[in-house]
Amino acid sequence: MPVPAASLKRLAMIRHVIYLLVAAAVIVPFIARLHVGDFQPGPHATKLYKKLDSLPAGTRVLLSFDFDPGSDAELTPMGLALLRHCFKKDLVPLVMTNYPAGLDLARKIMEDAVDDSQKLWGKKKVSGRDYVLLGFRPGQVNLVLKMGENLKTAFETDYYGKPTVDMRALKGVRSLKDLKLVIGISSSAWVETWIIYGADRFGFEYGAGATAVMAPDLYPFLDTGQMVGLLGGLRGAADYEALIKQRGRGTLGMSAQSAAHLLVIVLVLAANVRFVFRRLSGREKG
Amino acid sequence: MWYKRTIPLLLVLAFGLAGFGHDYVPHPASNAFREEVTTGFVIIGGFALFIGAYSLFHMHISRIRRKQPGWAYSIFVFLGAALMVCLGLWNDGDWMFVDPQPGVVTSFQWCYDYILVPCNATIFSILAFFIASAAFRTFRARNFSALLLLAAAVVVMFGRVPVSERVGQFLFDSPNAFAHVSEILLNYPNLAAKRAILLGVSLGVISQSLRIIFGIERTYMGGGD
Repeated sequence: MPVPAASLKRLAMIRHVIYLLVAAAVIVPFIARLHVGDFQPGPHATKLYKKLDSLPAGTRVLLSFDFDPGSDAELTPMGLALLRHCFKKDLVPLVMTNYPAGLDLARKIMEDAVDDSQKLWGKKKVSGRDYVLLGFRPGQVNLVLKMGENLKTAFETDYYGKPTVDMRALKGVRSLKDLKLVIGISSSAWVETWIIYGADRFGFEYGAGATAVMAPDLYPFLDTGQMVGLLGGLRGAADYEALIKQRGRGTLGMSAQSAAHLLVIVLVLAANVRFVFRRLSGREKG
Repeated sequence: MWYKRTIPLLLVLAFGLAGFGHDYVPHPASNAFREEVTTGFVIIGGFALFIGAYSLFHMHISRIRRKQPGWAYSIFVFLGAALMVCLGLWNDGDWMFVDPQPGVVTSFQWCYDYILVPCNATIFSILAFFIASAAFRTFRARNFSALLLLAAAVVVMFGRVPVSERVGQFLFDSPNAFAHVSEILLNYPNLAAKRAILLGVSLGVISQSLRIIFGIERTYMGGGD
């Protein structure tokens, strides 16, 4: 049965009103500089923070930024917060990506963290000595397996073309087996890949950051202890920023995210109230 | 046709069993073999990028040639790719971008930072509009199961934002009330369902792998049997 033209017009109007409301909910908190105030970090973010915080200075930590610019808003604040924590604790982060389109994003996050380290704590971090930007190599799962055999042949040079074989930042690291902790930030199935082909096989501890839509899929790995912690979506990034006491884009986005979530909840409830009234009046069957 | 069917099947059998057996043979020779094989895999993986690029260009050339609806957009695929390749190859006379230094932004990186990143983020952000609209139009408590799903979604969504702490404090004198219920929903019903799916998928992967290793499943070779 064809839908009447008046109904179609009304539906289109409702859709446009919703789009305007969403735009307002996201934009206004940024323009008005609304802040949600202090909040309690979640338990999984706290676990990851405590794990990283417990490592002694000089410990090598691999961070794999497996995402592209599509997930920049959610995942870049996580990467930056983790790197800030690493530099504050004088850990040695080794950064790589499995996304060719994520390479420059990883470079930018690393350079921002290096700048922050200088500004915030007066610690000048030098590439090859205090950190390594390993970059991208093709191979996917096979690259992880290769890194498990020999990390320096998997990445013979770093992003800047410097040979890794005698690099000070990689001293004592032959393969993934020599790492205490690996953290993967991903917008895809890379978290599972790192667990199955990396952590379970080579014995390092693994923590993850993921987009909010993916985070619920990863709870089984927290329960089994295959992950030491999880940062879920922008809230995860904001939690970590609160834990390291360095506010950034994650915290800034909380007001917009709060407004957007509340709007969706109000829309769902309003639609259901309307549905119940229409059903009671016999105008809708369900 | 033994070289097209028998040899690939034997190779799959040999490498499948070798990959499986490696985990049970901690001998240096076994590790050396594995290292050589994974190096080969990484090299082969590199070719996947060329196949991907070929597939993308082939599809868009076909769209332009056939003048399919929206064919003009395909031109931008080639323009964008050509621009980035040119900037990469002839960036201040450097061959590709082999010698970037920390803090130095090349034109290639500028295009990445100020064109690719905002464009990709914009496309992804459109999702918020669609989700809000779809939630309003389709998320109805038509029966008890739908009502449960709706209630769980609302609680989890609310528990994920800091403003829930203010509301929790006001209503229940506990700032973490909503976050706590949200965690319970994620930790128990969600985890149980996800675990069941994971176990099912894993069993499926194991059985499919065995079928491929022993030559029962041959569709990956083409031909359909």
